[in-house]
Amino acid sequence: MSPGPIQNNIRRLRFDHDEMTQQSLAERVGVTRQTVNAIELGKYSPSLEVAFRIAAVFAKPLEEVFQYHAGQDEAG
Amino acid sequence: MSFREKSAWVTFVLLLGFGIYFVEVASPWWNPTAPHVNHFQLFILLLIAIVILEIASHIVITMQSPRDAKAPLDERERLIALRATRPAFFVLLVGAFLSIGTMHLGVSTWVLAHCVLLAIWIAELTRFGTQVYFYRRGI
Repeated sequence: MSPGPIQNNIRRLRFDHDEMTQQSLAERVGVTRQTVNAIELGKYSPSLEVAFRIAAVFAKPLEEVFQYHAGQDEAG
Repeated sequence: MSFREKSAWVTFVLLLGFGIYFVEVASPWWNPTAPHVNHFQLFILLLIAIVILEIASHIVITMQSPRDAKAPLDERERLIALRATRPAFFVLLVGAFLSIGTMHLGVSTWVLAHCVLLAIWIAELTRFGTQVYFYRRGI
């Protein structure tokens, strides 16, 4: 499956934050670890609320965490 | 694998097991010499077995990840549940209309009831099968 138009830097940001685990991020955001994994791999585009919560965990603006690439076809 | 994915797998497999009932009910059509089975007893027996196995297997998967089991559905899980309902509803609708159609073939109410039951069964299989598919795919 090709990545969708919304891409993210969650993996790198987790690494930069003391190698935060997906489970830890998931608990802070209030979703399951599998959902964090799906977001990270670009298989699932989160709601605005979850996107803002993820950005808040890393103390970064939303656009530093998520990027929209209009040219890319949406996956699935 | 998350708690809810395991739950969907368990329910899907147990529902598949209920297919024994339909195979048994339909068996006289391809094997007229098959020994007679009390279908009502078989139905109740399978129903009880499925309920017991559902409870037992959910106790096991809850013990494996108690925190996941207690947590409410997150947005991706809700989306998966909703997306799986759509094809299941379509299957149920087609099954219901086909069941109504059997009335014009002059079949008994017993056959009509089983056509409806079959439609419900296939629709539920579709629902849990689709959930499993989306969980495997991520969404």
